[in-house]
Amino acid sequence: MGEIVSEADSVTIMDMEASLEHLSRGTVRHVDALLIVTEPYYRSLETARRTVPLARGLGISNIYAVVNKFRSDEDAKLVTEFCRNNDLDIVARIPFDDDVTKADLIGKSLYDFNKASPVVKEVEHLAVYLRENVPVNGSSASKHLSKPNC
Amino acid sequence: MKIGISGKGGSGKTTISATLARVFARQGLPVLAIDGDPNPNLGMALGLEPATLENTHSIPRSIVERIEDADGKMRMVLKDSVENIAALHGIAAPDGIRLIVGTKVENPGAG
Repeated sequence: MGEIVSEADSVTIMDMEASLEHLSRGTVRHVDALLIVTEPYYRSLETARRTVPLARGLGISNIYAVVNKFRSDEDAKLVTEFCRNNDLDIVARIPFDDDVTKADLIGKSLYDFNKASPVVKEVEHLAVYLRENVPVNGSSASKHLSKPNC
Repeated sequence: MKIGISGKGGSGKTTISATLARVFARQGLPVLAIDGDPNPNLGMALGLEPATLENTHSIPRSIVERIEDADGKMRMVLKDSVENIAALHGIAAPDGIRLIVGTKVENPGAG
């Protein structure tokens, strides 16, 4: 997939299979960044944390956790604490939003169902962060310039 | 920029993948979306109509090759570059996104 990633102005997004198995099989070997989607409870965060060394072993240097279905101040506390205690960069906190389920029930994309959804807003911030912080194919853009949520 | 998105089933990775693809596309970037989940539903999450989805297909078997890894595991690799596959077998999704449904298919990394 070299040609695609060498174009800094194009984006390839791979929705991976659910298990961690793909990491050992090399599917993600050539990505510039790996986003690990996790939910804000301990076991889910712990699974995300354990994925990090596997991904690093494949040579992926930009590994981020995206916390999804964020609901409360308690979630915020848990995530912040987990983040502080572990080597896990959390780059987005996506709130829980009923519109995700509503859109799914009628077979629509969330984006078409409600562009103003807080989920879309947070993903917009994530997109900006990725464009500013992920070096493409060895470009000199420095990484980890900031950890917006930590 | 190539972004892999992983996570347990039910974590919402497909919603986030699709929304991220739409956001990048709306910013004017060419976006290729690859559905690598064995139970593919990225198409719907991207906003494809049900009628269009019915006519979508995975990458044809003819461009997929089975090879054996050093550790003896069989895996699937693509015989062509992702660019060519996107051009030939990609599905047009909203905002100019190209979608490849490549269930259980891997790229050898040759590009």
